[in-house]
Amino acid sequence: MSELAFLLKYSLRNLFRNHKRTMLMIFSLSLGCAYILWVLNFANSSSKEIINEFLSQNTGRYVLTNKNFYEDNNKKKFNFYKVIDQNIELDKDISQFITPRVVAPVFISGQSKTIGLLLTGIDVSRELELSTIKDAVTIGNFISPNDENTILLGIRFAKKIQANIGDDVAILGQGLDGSMANELFRVVGLMNFGGGDLEEAMAFTQLKSSQNLLSIPHNKVHQLVNFSMQDTPLPESSDFVSTHWKDLLPEISVSMQFIDNFTWIVCIVIVLVLSLGLSNTLMITFLERESEFNTLNIIGAQMRWVCLSLIIEVLILGTTALIIGTVFGYLLTMFFYYYPINIEWFTGGQPIYLGGMTITPLVRVHSHLDYYWKVPLIIYGFLMLTMIYPLMKVIRRSRNVL
Amino acid sequence: MFFELKDVSKYYESSENSKVFGAKNINLEIKPGDFLALVGPSGSGKTTLLNLIAGLLLPSSGTLLHGKENITSLSLEQRTQHRLDYMGFVFQDYQLLPVLTAAENIEFPLQLKKIDKYEIKKRVNWALEQVGLENLGNRYPKQLSGGQQQRVSIARAIACKPEIILADEPTANLDSKTAQEIIQLFLKLNEELNLTFVFSTHDQRLIDQVKTVLYVKDGKIS
Repeated sequence: MSELAFLLKYSLRNLFRNHKRTMLMIFSLSLGCAYILWVLNFANSSSKEIINEFLSQNTGRYVLTNKNFYEDNNKKKFNFYKVIDQNIELDKDISQFITPRVVAPVFISGQSKTIGLLLTGIDVSRELELSTIKDAVTIGNFISPNDENTILLGIRFAKKIQANIGDDVAILGQGLDGSMANELFRVVGLMNFGGGDLEEAMAFTQLKSSQNLLSIPHNKVHQLVNFSMQDTPLPESSDFVSTHWKDLLPEISVSMQFIDNFTWIVCIVIVLVLSLGLSNTLMITFLERESEFNTLNIIGAQMRWVCLSLIIEVLILGTTALIIGTVFGYLLTMFFYYYPINIEWFTGGQPIYLGGMTITPLVRVHSHLDYYWKVPLIIYGFLMLTMIYPLMKVIRRSRNVL
Repeated sequence: MFFELKDVSKYYESSENSKVFGAKNINLEIKPGDFLALVGPSGSGKTTLLNLIAGLLLPSSGTLLHGKENITSLSLEQRTQHRLDYMGFVFQDYQLLPVLTAAENIEFPLQLKKIDKYEIKKRVNWALEQVGLENLGNRYPKQLSGGQQQRVSIARAIACKPEIILADEPTANLDSKTAQEIIQLFLKLNEELNLTFVFSTHDQRLIDQVKTVLYVKDGKIS
């Protein structure tokens, strides 16, 4: 015990032998740790905020459908025949985030053209509560829950078919029973998705209007969309299945995964570069004391004792730096939680284009608790590896002669 | 006799396949209480001989015995342990650890020997007393003069109660007055503690006061 205390005292004092260098090493290591923590938290929060904003606008986090809804055979039909009961019994925790939808490909005729798109029938009151689709309407008004046969078109689509607010457009589709669906709808609002493809691909009307148009009973829908922020899957049965947005939009999911993984790679590269710098500094520090190690060995200290004292020095240095770095990283993250970052700062003022729409989220940087042990542990691991070469050099160069 | 060098040679291969001898056919017996000076010009082989006695260098041929123990057959770690157990060292440039106080420097080898902390304290005080630095134990090496640092170095060497003290040019960095004090200290320790001293020197003041002088030239004792 006394020997260990002596060893600790010796190592600790050696750290302050060249206190400027030690402080610089602690500073660079803690700054690196704090920066990596912040970058990871920022990247994680950014992708979460982007996804949340994207999903809350239209897609939702989970979609409950008939188990054969996504079958190729169903998709080939002009109307999606596979419907589910609108009033499926769900827990209150889930049902409060659920909104029903009818989706069907239809043709819409304006003054100049007839073009096909996906008509979505929505429960207006529920959508106003749960989704942010209303925010996309920049010209005219959002459809009212009390009206019937009013429609929202994308700006690009309306321009193509030459339809304006107040105009009637004719919709042609196929009913659930195979009959011809044909009805006039009045344009009440135009949606702006930042010029994205969604402006030409989607139109929205009241759920009831779409059910009437497509001869769908009022208790049947195609989808129950979950707008909860939680990733809790919806219950499934022999009749219906729950599909996560990642499976619905795999290309977006992969992009987000790429950003997350790339951030980790960048962080590991930062740690590597930091390690190389530290390794060099450690080597200089160790080799400066070569003659001292020689004396220690001559008077009876085994080389393992010498190495242990050096390892303890690096452990003390690393622990101090990583504690400071972790606290600093946490404070930095907290700062940007209270003062969110506008993502446009990183895009030159341009919004992000994702899945046919543009989004401009304000990123509130959240602390991801996992990072607070993973990052210091990884840096610690690298620090230990960093030490190996300088230690081997010390052992190899020990002369052990007077 | 407790240290014996039997026909010990140490040579290095030169580039032209010829051998350069640091020590050549050395036969030497060191008895308890001996006060031996190895004298000779620079490069004569004094330090090589000290390194061989200490087990820091292994001879190219011959045997080094401590009592009945053949030091040449010991492993590197065993030789280090052997030095800790039986030898004390005094260096030309003191070689004190700058981050430790005088007392802690003396304590260092005692900690390596895992001696009880009360015994350590006793021995540190005793060693400081022996070298006349009772009141300077809390000072760091840089706060001490050259002579005082060499005294601390001697205290560190004797604290472990070694059988032999090996000193390499112990007075080379000191002024004549301080060198004289160090010589007197060596003699006092030799007489009072019956401590064996082997040191290399070319300091005539030291040579004049030594019982046994061994002249070393070209790796040979004459």
